[in-house]
Parts: sequence; structure tokens; C-alpha cells
Amino acid sequence: MTLITFALLLKAACYTVAISGVSIVIGFLIGMGVAAARLSTSRWIAIPAHAFVSFFRGVPLLVQLLLIYNLLPFLGINVPSVVAAVVGLSLCTAAYQAENLRGGFASVPRGLIEAADMTGLSPFQQLVRIRAPIAFRLTLPSLVNEAILILKASSLVSVVGVIELTRMAQDLDTSLYKPIQLYATAGFLYFLINRCLAFAGASAERRFSWGRA
Amino acid sequence: MRFDYALVASKIPEIFHALGVTLFVWIVGLVGATMLGFLVAVARRFGPRWLDLALGAYVELFRGTPFLIQLFLLYFGGPYVGLSLDPIPAGLLGLSVYGAAYFSEIFRAGFEAVPSGHVEAGECVGLTRAQIVRRILLPEMTMLVFPACVNMAVVLLKETAVMSVITVPELTLTISAIGTEFYAFVESLFLLALFYWGLVEICGWLGRLAEARLSRFRFAAA
Amino acid sequence: MSEPAIVVRRLSKRFGQTEVLHDIDLDVAPGEATCVIGPSGSGKSTLLRCMAFLEEANSGTIDVYGKPLGFTEEASGKRTRLPAARIREVRSQIGMVFQQFNLWPHMTALGNVSEALKTARRLSSAESEERAMAQLRKIGLENRAGHYPTQLSGGQQQRVAIARALALEPKIMLFDEATASLDPELTGEVLNVMRALADDGMTMVIVTHEIGFAASIGKKIVFLDKGRVLIASPPQEVFRKPRHPRIDQFLDTYLDRGAAMLI
Repeated sequence: MTLITFALLLKAACYTVAISGVSIVIGFLIGMGVAAARLSTSRWIAIPAHAFVSFFRGVPLLVQLLLIYNLLPFLGINVPSVVAAVVGLSLCTAAYQAENLRGGFASVPRGLIEAADMTGLSPFQQLVRIRAPIAFRLTLPSLVNEAILILKASSLVSVVGVIELTRMAQDLDTSLYKPIQLYATAGFLYFLINRCLAFAGASAERRFSWGRA
Repeated sequence: MRFDYALVASKIPEIFHALGVTLFVWIVGLVGATMLGFLVAVARRFGPRWLDLALGAYVELFRGTPFLIQLFLLYFGGPYVGLSLDPIPAGLLGLSVYGAAYFSEIFRAGFEAVPSGHVEAGECVGLTRAQIVRRILLPEMTMLVFPACVNMAVVLLKETAVMSVITVPELTLTISAIGTEFYAFVESLFLLALFYWGLVEICGWLGRLAEARLSRFRFAAA
Repeated sequence: MSEPAIVVRRLSKRFGQTEVLHDIDLDVAPGEATCVIGPSGSGKSTLLRCMAFLEEANSGTIDVYGKPLGFTEEASGKRTRLPAARIREVRSQIGMVFQQFNLWPHMTALGNVSEALKTARRLSSAESEERAMAQLRKIGLENRAGHYPTQLSGGQQQRVAIARALALEPKIMLFDEATASLDPELTGEVLNVMRALADDGMTMVIVTHEIGFAASIGKKIVFLDKGRVLIASPPQEVFRKPRHPRIDQFLDTYLDRGAAMLI
């Protein structure tokens, strides 16, 4: 493998990281909204939120990407394929993150909330000062996991014509005819990035372990 | 949306065939992944250390890289090392090996989750090693891992869609091709999405049913 | 006799089909410790939690210093739920210590004790921390102020939990099996804090398995059995022989646990 080829793959890997990163962040924000919506007492809000989660977890990501890629122009919204890809990834991860957050909040031990009740904290204060920090900490491992999953899933945006690591390997293959080298290297780069994510996640978990060994 | 019913009706056999392919690849791939994953888990737990490390590397690699890349490697790279596979066999093999990496981790966790106290109790009443594995370890492990296995099965169902990229004639490829033919991309994709959504929901429902039946044997550790 | 701190009348509580409390009548006198004892499942914790309004009774009333807690009930049986603000107001006179301590894991000991002062009572950070430190000093844990709950022993955690409740200057302190989760050698430090509180004249309702402790600190012992009050009297009357057969039966199981200090 020549240096140029590797450099091209590396550059494409950066695009992969960028696309994934943006999608995870946007997805987290949307996910928080969806999780809150699901808890809403109003059926008009809770049921669509439920449907959202069910749909985006029940349909393969590839189909979601194809759908959004074709739907946006159909609705008259003309954006670069990268944007469509990020929208698709974000919505998909939002559904999973909403589930994770729901699990995180449900796992906050009841006793801690009762103690907050007894010390006179209002429901809103309890949410902000007690439940959210603890839920976030409980959700952290699944958040890291989700980041890794999105990174791998981002390989599918190659199908809608976005230049990232997988697409670059494909394109290079059409001219170099070295699929094993190219895909193995691409795979290795994905692996490396995932490893870094896992490491970062472990560090974050340690940082927020509040004195636990 | 152009709706020429006769034309659409003529496509229904094709869609059913595609559904069949999807289900076929999924179920065979699932069975392969479960069996292979189980073997890997057993080999890692009861085998020599070097095997544990080698299989560990396999598991890490296949869980840490995208399925699409693995498929490309197999389908496009295979011929260069003498492995020329048609799309369906390639998809099957790819799904099995990919799924096995995940299943092996599920089973590994399952083995560890069986309380050692239960195994020790078996030893104390005089059961042989084989009897303990067969009558205590495996049944308990099965119940513990069942939910995770159902989840993984659904994941693999969704991954079958990725095989469309290597031209396996499953639902995604077929329905989006029909969509192109009729110039109705969005409608066909919605239909496709609904298909999968339905399949996944049915799967989930069946899984919950089975879990409920199995939980008759609920015990303290679970 | 001064006005009772807590007045419980006709309190009943059901969990699903199971009736856990039957028509409980109880007066908690101010300035003294009332200990609630009884077999497991007798409803002791439920009764205490109803007093804290952590459980809502199905019928009956609880009045704290004359003010109703949670519900008002008319002679006809009609119950009216009071607005949240009123409930909070009455509740603010009550402090609760839980069996599981329930310290917030993401805050230090100081953080736990000062949190409500800062957030609920809206005192300044400096003022809250000063008061919190004073409470920690009283229980002897001022040098653990910066430690997180996971870095503290069970006994220390429970003492911090007591400090957290005391920081809000409640008139009544409720203890729900405060030492039941502690290793035997750690119960002493918590019981000492409770004894000091009682000596200071705090109104306390203590649900406990520590019969000896209850007998020595309680001015009134309430024996609860299957959701009913069997007897509510000073320790001498409760433990003097001849005892009620149920109490005999109950105490028999405790004799091994050094309850020989009974009167």
C-alpha cells in the first residue's frame, strides 16, 4: 500500500469521525427531547414519541438512510448528501439514546428521591440536582457504546454517496484492484477509532465515579 | 404516486421471494452465529490460554469493525485468496461470523452469571463435571442469556439489509429496485421500512412470549 | 400534658389486596422518643412512612402539631387531598433517616448535608456550608466532609444522613430501622448519635429491631402486630411480666441477641 493511498484513507477516516461525532451530539439532544416527551402526561406528545423510538429502532439503518436521502428532495428540501446522512444517523441514534436515558432515569434508586423529597427539594430541583446527574452517570456506559455503534454504522452512508472511509476504500478499489488491502486497512482504522472511543469512555466513567475504586 | 394495480400485483411474487430470501438468510445466519458463538465461548472458557487469546482477538476485531466492511472483504476480497462466493452464501457466511462474535460474548457473560454457588452445590451432592454442566450450568445459562439472544437476533435481522450492497436479492434490494422501476422511490422505501418494522415487532413480541414462558423457572440470581 | 407532636387517627393502609395497617390510633408526645417495635411485616415501616407522607394512607388522618398532613377526612369519610405546597409545609417539620441511608452518591458528605439548605431553603453557599459543617462537627465527622459516600463506612454514612436531616432543623425526627443495614460493630456509633439527640429533647419516632436500645431510650413503646397496635405504653408496662403472649413470643426470638437488658 502506498503512502498516498493510506493518506487518503486516513483523511476519509477523519470524515467518518466528523460525521459520527456530529450525529452523536445531535442525536443526544434529540434523544433527551424524545425521552422527556415519552414521559409526558399528554397522549398527543407521548404516543408520537413512542412511535418515533419504535420506528427508528425497528427499521434497519440502511433503509432509514435511503428513505431520508430520497425523502428530502421529494419534500423539496435539497441538501448535500452529507446532510441527509447526518440527519439519518442522528434520528437513528436519538431513538436508541432516548431508550438509554429512559433506562438511566428509571435506575435512579427510589430511596435517593425519597430523601430529596424529605429534605424539601421541589420536583424540579430533584430533577436537576439529583436525578439528572445520577441518571447521566448510569447512562454513560450505554452512551459510549452507542458512540461506537454509530461509528460503525456510519459506514452505511457510503451507500448514499458520502465520501467517508468505506466509500474511499470502495473508490480506491475500483482503480487499484486491491480489495483485501484496502478493506482490511479501512477495517483496521475503524477498529482503532473504536478502541480510542472505548478508552475515552472508560476515562470518563472513572472521572465520574465519585470516589468509587 | 402512480398506481397501476395490475403492474404492482405482478410484482408481488417477487416481493414474496425477496421476503423469503431475507428470512432464509436471517434464520440460517442466526443459527450459524449462535452455534459458532457458543463454540467460541466454550473454547475460550474451557480451552487453553492461547486459544482464548486468539479467539478473543477475533471477537474484538469482528465487533469493532463495520459489518459492511466485513462483507466487502469477504465478497470482493475472497476471490483473491481462492474463495469465490455467490452473494447469498457470502451474506450467510458474513452474517454468521459477524453474529458469532457477538453471541460468543453473550454466552461468555452467561457462563459467568451463573452463580458459582449453584455449581458448588452440584459438586457437594456428588454430580460429575459433565452432569453439572448439562443439568445445572447450561439450563441456567440459557435462561439468563435468552433476552440478550432475542435482542441479537433482531439486530441480525436488520443487518440483512446491508447485504443488499453485495447484491443479495433480499427485501431492501428488491423493493428499492421496484421503486426505481416505478419511479416511486419514497413510497417503496416507506413500504420497505414498514415491512421491517412489522418483522421486528413480531420478533420482539414472540421473544417476549418465549421469555414469559421461560420465566416460570425464575430464580433468585436472575 | 402538652400538645402531641403527631396525632394518628384511624389510619388504614392497603397494598393491593393486603391490609397492612388497620385503624391505627397513636399519639406521639413532643420532646421524647417513641419506639415502634414488632415482628417483620407488622407494618412498622409503613406506619412511619405514612407519617413522612412517603406512603399515602387509604383512610384516617395524621396531624402534625395540629396541622393535617396530606389529607383531611370528614366524618362522612370523604377525603380531600391538600395542595402540594401545604404538604411540603407540614413535611418541612419532619426529618427522616432511612435504613439504606440514601446519601446522594454524586455529592460529598458536606454536599449532602448542605444541599437542601442551598437549594430548597435558598441560603447562600457559604451559609449552607457553614451550617452543614457545624452539623458534621456535632457527629464527629468534620474531617470526612470532603469524602464521597462510597468512601465512608456504613456507620459514617448513616451519621451523615442524620446530619443531613438535622441541618434543616426539624421538630420531629423519624428513624426507619436506621441500624438494620449496618454491621454489628458499626451500630453503636449510630445509636449513640440517636441517644444524644433524645437526651437533647428531640421528638423522635424510631422503628427498630434493637429492643434493648428501644427499651432504654423510648419513653413510649408501641408494639405493632399484623397492622394493629397491641400496646402503646412506657417500657416498664410493655416489658413487665406477665406480658401479652404475642410480646412474649416476639421477645423470645430476641433473647439471644442480648436483649437481656430489658426492664
